[in-house]
Parts: sequence; structure tokens; C-alpha cells
Amino acid sequence: MTVRLVDGVIRLEGACPVEEAEALLALVQERPDRPVDLSGCRHLHGAVLQVLLAFRPPVQGQSEDAFLRDWILPGLQRP
Amino acid sequence: MDELLQQFLIEGPELVQQAGDALLALERRPDDPALVDSAFRAVHTLKGSAGLFDFPPMGLVLHAAEDLLGAIRAGRRAVDRDTVDELVAVIGQTDRWLAAIGSTGTLPEDAGAAAARLVATLRARLSDGPDHPASAGGVPPETDAAWIRTLLSSQGDAALPDGGTLVAVRYLPDRNCFFHGDDPVEIARHVPGLVALRVALQDGQPDLAAYDPFACNLVVELLSSAPLDEVQAAFRFVPDQVQILPVTVPATPAGDGPAGRSTPEATSRSLRVDASRIDALAEIVGELVVAKNGLAELAAQLAGGLDARAAATALADRHATFDRLVGRLHRAVVSVRLVPMTPLLRRFPRLVRETAASLGKEVELVVEGDEVEVDRSVLDGLFEPLTHLLRNAVDHGVEPAEQRRRAGKPARASLRLVARQAGDHVVIEVADDGRGIDPATIRRVAAERQVMGSEALASLPDDAVLDLVFRPGFSTASAVTDVSGRGVGMDAVRTAIGQLGGKVALASQPGLGTTVRLTLPVNLVLAKVLLVSCAGETYGVPMDSVVETARIPKDRLLPVRAGLVFFLRDQAVPLLPLADLLHVPGSVERQEDQLALVIRAGPNLVGIGVDGFLGHTDVLLRPMTGLLATMPGVLGTTILGDGRVMMVLDPVELAG
Repeated sequence: MTVRLVDGVIRLEGACPVEEAEALLALVQERPDRPVDLSGCRHLHGAVLQVLLAFRPPVQGQSEDAFLRDWILPGLQRP
Repeated sequence: MDELLQQFLIEGPELVQQAGDALLALERRPDDPALVDSAFRAVHTLKGSAGLFDFPPMGLVLHAAEDLLGAIRAGRRAVDRDTVDELVAVIGQTDRWLAAIGSTGTLPEDAGAAAARLVATLRARLSDGPDHPASAGGVPPETDAAWIRTLLSSQGDAALPDGGTLVAVRYLPDRNCFFHGDDPVEIARHVPGLVALRVALQDGQPDLAAYDPFACNLVVELLSSAPLDEVQAAFRFVPDQVQILPVTVPATPAGDGPAGRSTPEATSRSLRVDASRIDALAEIVGELVVAKNGLAELAAQLAGGLDARAAATALADRHATFDRLVGRLHRAVVSVRLVPMTPLLRRFPRLVRETAASLGKEVELVVEGDEVEVDRSVLDGLFEPLTHLLRNAVDHGVEPAEQRRRAGKPARASLRLVARQAGDHVVIEVADDGRGIDPATIRRVAAERQVMGSEALASLPDDAVLDLVFRPGFSTASAVTDVSGRGVGMDAVRTAIGQLGGKVALASQPGLGTTVRLTLPVNLVLAKVLLVSCAGETYGVPMDSVVETARIPKDRLLPVRAGLVFFLRDQAVPLLPLADLLHVPGSVERQEDQLALVIRAGPNLVGIGVDGFLGHTDVLLRPMTGLLATMPGVLGTTILGDGRVMMVLDPVELAG
């Protein structure tokens, strides 16, 4: 399981494949203000990223993956 | 040539093709929104690209066409035959302009006038629509490069090479792409030299309540500093979903966006190659490396005192390996030059449609043989003659509708363009179901135009009479248009096909239709040549150009004025020594029989005197380059088995 709910925070871990979009969607739809933590995330499948772009939940944590950190996360953290 | 323009010239024709295909299909299925979409997208992209360069007439016309297609897409306009005709005319004009830009770098002088006509027609069609105020009658089209500018400016000046070249990519993944296993983020991750990246939603306000997590709604825009081909490689699995443009970073960031113009290079020729063929080449190279290493190992064994017999066996073994690999390499390289006929064949339905519409005829073109492959140079040389043949068929072969009805034929004529492979040749047939050619009419016209003597004409069988349409004297447009229905420029077709090493044949049944058959070699690269010796040198002569070889006894050579003549089956044939033609010192006075190549120069036979025949061989012909390219009478060079360079001659040109 790479999408987990830990203490009210949605944690995306490892490489999140396309199937995780559904799990993330369910958690985000349940409570749209739930923060999403990406510090353990190495890759976001397009479908997963699209959920974040559509629902705009608060995003926290810096990924260790350079591509995500430099190119993807800035777009999610923007208001 | 400017890279941006070059890219446009590669993509432009493909977009024209896409739009044309969609429009033609639209006529049959006017209710298919996917077709309108496809045509709209293609025209939209073309317009955007045209706006990047200084081609205002092209931009104006495409802009008007886009508006019309937009109205159709929005359901404000119905699709009817006239609308399709007008849109097809726009696409046809765009295609011709692209060709002009490719060869001269600019639009032809009459482009402005042509554009004004087209725009007027399109606008007139639109003006009775409900919500189109006389929009943009003469306003230059906006470029669609706004996203590029946004990306450029998002990066600040520091990150960008001032005035340098970047590659801009707009990737709109297909809605179902997740199901196809595509991951747009993964693809973006592997783009080399990333300078800017923006991932956003195509539809910024998706319905969150009914959110479909597996319908892709992403748009990826990025800039890369890597070479164009590397960026293209990153998107090789989704070529239909990306727009890739090289852009020049403006020296002043607030400038007019990327732009560029330059003069085209006449010699630039690119080849699009299927990636799997390159992979196959890479694989062979890999095996060659292994084989090469095997030689090093053998050398080490020899140094270590391997006995001669074992060495010979090992060496023969290695040779066999190399032989196999080199053979495969050669086949692979030849196949790289082979391109499918699809892009060529698919240009014609639109052309036929345009020609038919301009003549008020209804013609359906059926194209078969997309999968047939030919050498790139053959493909390039086919467009003109095929265009000619199809136009001829529509113009002269196909009867007017009422005449067809009287003859009991469907009003809509059927034209077939079929390509198929036959051994190492391709056969292309253009067949119509029109009025056919009446041999009697040909005889009359041939007599009127004095193509040949009346006695000779009378003795010709009907089959041979048809062949007369290929005679240069026969093909004067007015005469033929009036009487027979075929023949306009048929000599030009035969010449063009002949230059590709092919043949043209014509068959016709009066009242039922005409078929023109082109037979062409698949490969131009491998040529069969006859080896001849002259003044101690060996030369090659293409087998195709030799009618026969002859041995002439010395006493049968007759001096006529300064030259020599011999008789071949009662026909006087001049003899030209090859040494004289090549301006090399000839051999000393010969005692034995004279050997000659008999070739056909125009209508006449000519003998070319040589010292000896050395057999024949298949050669890989290299065309002459640089200064030598203009040398008359030489087709190219090749390397003989013993390593000597041999010149391959064009005897017809030499004798001419």
C-alpha cells in the first residue's frame, strides 16, 4: 500500500502507480482538507498527480526524488 | 534552414494530410464529430505554426478555415458538399504553399490574391451564421505560441540561454492514455535537459463530484535545452499527442516570441525511419563488436603458437561470422531507405476530389497498397507522374455525369490507385471506369499530327496504337483533350518513370475504362552492370541501358565521313569508340573483331566500341558528389571486389 492514512495525513510512499489514484481520490473526497504528505514519495503517476491538481488538497513534505522536488511539487504547493 | 521552419515543413504536410483525410471522410459521415475535431485540430495547429513565420496569407486562409470548422464543430453550421469543397480547396492551397516554401523559402507572389479569394468564399459561407460578426476579415492570426511565451517567462532570464535554441513541447495526453499504460509524468521525467515544466489540467474545473480518476485530463508543457531529436525520442510512444517545436529564445524576453526565417537549403533531405529498423541496426553492430573481439582472441592464440591448420579453421570460422553479419547489415541499411507508400498514396484522394470538383464531376478514388514499400528516391519521384495520371483520368477519362448515365454507368465514377509488390518491383496501377481510348481516334490524331508516316500507322496493330500517346509529338493538350481523352503529357510521365528505372504501359477498353500500369524497381541502390574494358580500364554500364552486345568483323565496319558505321539486321548503326567518348587515349589499331555495346539513344541505335566484355555484376552505386556530380555521362562509382574503384557510365548521355 503506497497510499496510507496516518494520523489524519494522507501519506504517499514509494512509486505511486495508476491504481492508487482511486484510493487517493476516496481519501480526498472524504475530507477535502486532509493534508497530503509527499516526503516518502519517489514517483507520482499522472493519474495520481491529476487527483492532487483537481482537488488541490494541502500538500506537505519534500520528496527526495529530484524530479518531483524540482518540477512537480512547486506546482502543487502554489496557492 | 532554420530548424523551426524545417520542423514546420515536416509537420505541415502531415497536418494537411490529416485535415484532408478528415474532410473527405466527413462527406460520407457528416455527423461524426471526431472527424470535425480532427480537421479542426489539424487546421488549428497549421494556423498556429504559420503564425510563427512570416506567411500572412497562409495564416489568414487557415484562420478563416478554422473559424468555419469551429462553427461546424459548435453545431452552428451544417456540413454540405460545397463547404467540404471549399475546405478541401484551402487544404490543397496550403499544401501547394508548403511545397513552395520548401523549395523557395517564401510563398509565391500570387499568394495574397489567392488567399483573398479563399478567405472571401469562406467568410461568405460563415457570414449567414448566427453569431459570427465579420470577424477578423483582415486581422493577422494570433499565434498559438502563447504557452511557449508563458513557459519562457516563468523561468526568468537567468535559466535561459539568451538567443539560444530550446525545444518546446506541448503534450496533451489522450483521455484514455492511462488505460494504454501511458504515464505522462513518467514521460516528462525522462525528457533530457529540462528547463521548464508545467503540468496542469486540460479542463481546469473538472466536475469533482463525478471525478473519473482514470480519465486523463492533464496537459504537460515543457522546455528543454536538449537537441530536438533527443526530446522527440522521449515522446516516441505518443507522437500523435505532442506538439514539439524548436524555439529561439528571444534576446529581449518581452519580444514577439519565437520566430525565425532563413533561406532553405535545396540539398537538405531527411529520412524518417521506423525506430525498429534502427534498433535492428544497433543489434547488428553489437554482434559485429562481439565478432571483432573474437579476432583479438584469435590473434592472441596465434601469438601463443597456434598451429597453422587450427588457425586456418578458426579464421574461416570467423570469416563466416563476418560474412553473415555484413550481409545482414547491408540488408538492414537497404531497408532503412525503404519507406512505405502510405504518405504518398494518401495525398491523392484529396487531389482527385479537388480536380473532380473543379470539373463538376463526381469521382471516388479507391487506394490500395499502403503497406508496399519502396526506396525513398523512388517515392520522391512518383508524386508528379501519379498526379499527372490521376488528373488525366479525372479530366479526360471520366465522362460527364449525364453521359455516364446514358451509358448505363453510375454517375459517380470510380478511380483506382493500386500499388502492389511483385518480386523486386512495385506495380502501380491507375485505373478508371471512364470512356476508354478509341484506337481509331488515336490513329486519326496521330495522322493529323504527323507522329508517324501514314503507311506505318496503318500497319500498326491496335495495341501498339495506344502506345502512340506516349510519343512527344502526340501530347499536345488541346488536340488530345478534344478528341481522345488521354495523352496530356503522357510522354512526361514515361520520361519521369523511366528516370526511376521503371516502365509505363497502357491498356484500354473503349467504353469501359483505361488502366495505366507503372512498373518500378523497389531499390535504386543495387544496379546490375555490365563490365567492359577500354584502354586498359574497367568501366561499368547499367544493364538496363544496353540493348544488346555485338561482335562486328573488321571488314563489316564501313567508314562514313569521319566515322564508322556497321549494319545490325539491316539497320545502319554508327559506331562511337568509348575511348573517344571518354577522351582517353584509345587502344592501338585492332586486328580482331570490333566489340560494341548497342544502346538506344532517342529513337536510334548507337554502337559504342569497347575493347572487351568482362561479365556482369551487381553493384552498390554511389552517386558522384561535389565537383564530380556535374560530370556528364557518369552515373556514379562503385568498388570492385578487388578494391578498385570503378566508374559506372551513362552511355546514353555519353553518346548524346
